[in-house]
Amino acid sequence: MPQDRDLIEQIVKRYDGDTGMLIPMMQDLQSECGYLPAEHLRYLSGRLKVPMSRLYAVATFYSSFRLAPKGAHEVTLCMGTVCYLKGAPKISETICREFHVEPGGTTRDGLFTLQAVNCVGACAVAPVMLVDGKYYDSVTPASALEILYELATDKATAEKEAEI
Amino acid sequence: MTGLGNTRLSSFADLERMREELFSRRAPSTKSVHVCTGPGCAAKGSPKLYELFCAAVKQAGADVEVQAKAVGCHGLCEYGPIVLIQPGNIFYQRVEEPDVAEIFRETVLGGRVVERLLYENPATGEKADTVDKIPFYKAQKRIALAYNGLIDPTSIEDYIVAGGYTALPKVLNGMAPEEIITEVERSGLRGRGGGGFPTARKWRSCREAEGFPKYVICNGDEGDPGAFMDRAIMEGNPHSVIEGMLIGAYAIGSEQGYIYVRNEYPLSVERLNEAIEQAKDLGLLGKNILGSSFSFDIRINRGGGAFVCGESTALMASLEGRPGEPRAKYIHTVESGLRGKPTNLNNVETWANIPQIIKHGGEWFAGIGTEKSKGTKVFSLVGNVVNTGLVEVPMGITLRRIIDEIGGGIPDGKRFKAVQTGGPSGGCIPTEHLDARVDFDELTKLGSMMGSGGMIVMDEDTCMVKVAKYFTDFLQKESCGKCTPCREGLSQMLYILDRITDGEGQVGDIEELEILADLLEGTALCALGKTAANPVISTIRYFRDEYDAHILDRHCPAKECRGLFRYEIDPEACKSCGICLKNCPADAITGDKKVPYVINQEKCTLCGTCWEKCPFTAVLKV
Amino acid sequence: MHALRNVLGKMPLHCGVKGIMKGKPMPTVTIDGYKVEVEKDATVLDAAKKAGIWIPTLCYHPAVSCDASCRLCMVELDRGDWRQLITSCNYPVRRDIVVYVSSERAQRARRGVMELLLARAPESQELRALAERMGVKETRYPNVTESQRNCILCGLCVRVCEEIIGQSAIAFAGRGAERTVAVPFRQPSDDCIGCGACAAVCPVGTIKVRIHQEQQEVEISPFKSRAKLVVCEKCGAPIISTPVSEQVLGKIKNMSSEEFRQRIRLCPKCRKSQTAGRLEAAMVYKKE
Repeated sequence: MPQDRDLIEQIVKRYDGDTGMLIPMMQDLQSECGYLPAEHLRYLSGRLKVPMSRLYAVATFYSSFRLAPKGAHEVTLCMGTVCYLKGAPKISETICREFHVEPGGTTRDGLFTLQAVNCVGACAVAPVMLVDGKYYDSVTPASALEILYELATDKATAEKEAEI
Repeated sequence: MTGLGNTRLSSFADLERMREELFSRRAPSTKSVHVCTGPGCAAKGSPKLYELFCAAVKQAGADVEVQAKAVGCHGLCEYGPIVLIQPGNIFYQRVEEPDVAEIFRETVLGGRVVERLLYENPATGEKADTVDKIPFYKAQKRIALAYNGLIDPTSIEDYIVAGGYTALPKVLNGMAPEEIITEVERSGLRGRGGGGFPTARKWRSCREAEGFPKYVICNGDEGDPGAFMDRAIMEGNPHSVIEGMLIGAYAIGSEQGYIYVRNEYPLSVERLNEAIEQAKDLGLLGKNILGSSFSFDIRINRGGGAFVCGESTALMASLEGRPGEPRAKYIHTVESGLRGKPTNLNNVETWANIPQIIKHGGEWFAGIGTEKSKGTKVFSLVGNVVNTGLVEVPMGITLRRIIDEIGGGIPDGKRFKAVQTGGPSGGCIPTEHLDARVDFDELTKLGSMMGSGGMIVMDEDTCMVKVAKYFTDFLQKESCGKCTPCREGLSQMLYILDRITDGEGQVGDIEELEILADLLEGTALCALGKTAANPVISTIRYFRDEYDAHILDRHCPAKECRGLFRYEIDPEACKSCGICLKNCPADAITGDKKVPYVINQEKCTLCGTCWEKCPFTAVLKV
Repeated sequence: MHALRNVLGKMPLHCGVKGIMKGKPMPTVTIDGYKVEVEKDATVLDAAKKAGIWIPTLCYHPAVSCDASCRLCMVELDRGDWRQLITSCNYPVRRDIVVYVSSERAQRARRGVMELLLARAPESQELRALAERMGVKETRYPNVTESQRNCILCGLCVRVCEEIIGQSAIAFAGRGAERTVAVPFRQPSDDCIGCGACAAVCPVGTIKVRIHQEQQEVEISPFKSRAKLVVCEKCGAPIISTPVSEQVLGKIKNMSSEEFRQRIRLCPKCRKSQTAGRLEAAMVYKKE
């Protein structure tokens, strides 16, 4: 598609076609599209003259890359040592059970994608949860669910408004 | 806000003139409100406090000499959000939005202290009004964190006024590269990222290596869970890193630098980018810096989300647009690194120390610390400790002083059990070694290591086998998977530890773990794999009885591993309220008014709901 | 600026801590007591071969670059007051060194690695044979990681495809225990030319070339990549994959494409009988 090509051209130009900047290029692509669409990657491969297998290797090696679309919100749970010791697994379990989702996956209704990361560097206020980049400190299973229910309510409200 | 316009400084004299000009503009009577926006305080909403203070300053009018600043991590994160008032170093803790007006009115304008916001020592009840009266800060010595809390990290002027970019002109204006390296050598600085390699030796090897161009890299891929020292430096004082890299690049003969920041630190990327732009505008980066023949540029690269990219060769692979797989180091990176060229890589904290070392001299730095570990180290003191946060202490201080005096001891009346240092490559140190002096070699002797500075305190309720399992699981998921021993060996170790914590341990499991540990140490390709078994080995060394209890008795002494302990109701504490019965999903509890409730062990699924819900803590883990 | 660069580039070399020394042109390796001379930057494995000492390897192949990822070829390097375990396939010899292949620690290391591999890939005949030769009859470890048909992730297939064939049709995907050799998006690859080089170098029998006679296609299993085959006009036997023939054609200097195509119309067997037939006809003619 022509707009795909434009986006890739833009990104390649931004980094002067330097193949060493492949990861930042893919990060920019994911910022734009929410994930790494296969067709965009194929075009990028041709444009940079880097084999598709290398792009695929990079996309599947680093945890931050997604090859499938994500949910409307990004929920990140910190699983660093301190958060872990202060109960992060229980929080994760609770969220997964309530919303029928696995870490790394997206809820069926596309409300949010759940990610587990190793330490966001806010250990003093563990356990930490991020929603769309916003930090929530000293989270408990109950408070985590509350925060996520609010997302669902916001979505329902937004949908209702859209209907009207 | 540059104030002097974006005039490029084209000589050393220009810089000094600017510094004097800035200094003279700041009337000594200016009052200053410093709101900490480090990771901990920011997570508790401190940016909003800063906004409110800014509004208050604006409202106060032009004739009142007052300013508000957002500053980097000051360290005592547990008590955040922290607000400091200058002059006087007044320290307010746990500040909330409604407090802003009062602080401004009473302290800033009126010079009076707001008692209830002062720090109160939980042990003695004593209040402290200034920073230096707080035990947490008294024993610290701040070099890398010196400007945190003092300067606005988004202002290069603040850095200059505070004394930054003093070392750089000193170097460019009269120190030969070999002189610089000798000064760093004199300081005894060793890498702060975990390796502890003598910095001067690395710089010298790189300088002497054949090849051009040469690269300098700052490793900002702080991946150890529990560690956020580098983050505090990158976000609280980014120019210290830039200045350090400038000095190192000049000494080595490099014109291009990279700062590799892990993907999970977008704010660090932002701050560093901002700082680089400001430095460029002033001509402190780019071509012919301060009118000299030295040119240097820095580019920031974000990681993609891989702990292994903290390893230097994996980091370089990532900078080349490849998966972050380490490679053999029989040929060192100072000889052949990024793109096969001589490359010098150092950690954020290492770079941050350089300007101070050049400014005050190597001897000054070497006067602090122990014989083989000079200077100070920033630690992130977290976990089961009262004062969680960042601390910077001279090498050689004892663990006990850090945990008790600075950390304030263990909360909730619990007993200390172990302190984990060095992240996933480190180990756990028990009570009997609390008087060990913290330095590179001491910690290694004890079966742990300094690592990047994570210091996780664990109390009596921590299961050490579970801790070992946590780190093994972490590494197994973060392993790049290239070499057999790390990929397969960690999976095998995890399998054994899973069985043990599930109550399916077998006699001989500990010996199998030790065999695997030996294999990993000897045959793994990189430091991640080679040190991966340290958490397991150190916990076996000091807490073998816990392993034995899990394996032989199917019991978890710390009562953490589900299924390996029971819940029982203490008949004396039970008030027969019935909440446990109501909430039990297995109908395993029976009881009546005025009679202690009882858990039927056969029906109990060990879910722990009764333990959570009991308002009288009458449910005990046994 | 240029002056500074020139000055720094010409700094004299000092004896650094390790490996910076320029070294001898023909250093000596003492390997299990035998002394052999090798060229500078030759590997310890080269030295062992010269000395006639066998060291087991899996991810090593003389035709491609060396990754030292399997960790099977471990030997001990004498460092004076201690011994370092190193991989012999990529350790560069720059000065006189002493190496132990048969020491207890080196053997234990190699056997440990093999045991881990056997646990991962229990059904590979080739792996078992290698293990036997090393004296490893069984493994103490259970199978806890899943391998793709006994793949041990040595990477030879990936490197052959990238460095020799130049197609880079396959690469490592994922990380850690989830790491596999894969084609992009797990879809049959456009870059694969069906040459079968990957199958040829695979040391454990994971990769197989499959001929699909009816569709006249060659498949590289397990990558599911297929390429069309050029088949014998007479008997239908597969001759060469079409993309490979096109690559070869691209490299031949003194032949037109028509002539080249002529030459691959018949399989060797049919060509022989065609030639034999012509010869016979010629001889009969001559007799008469």
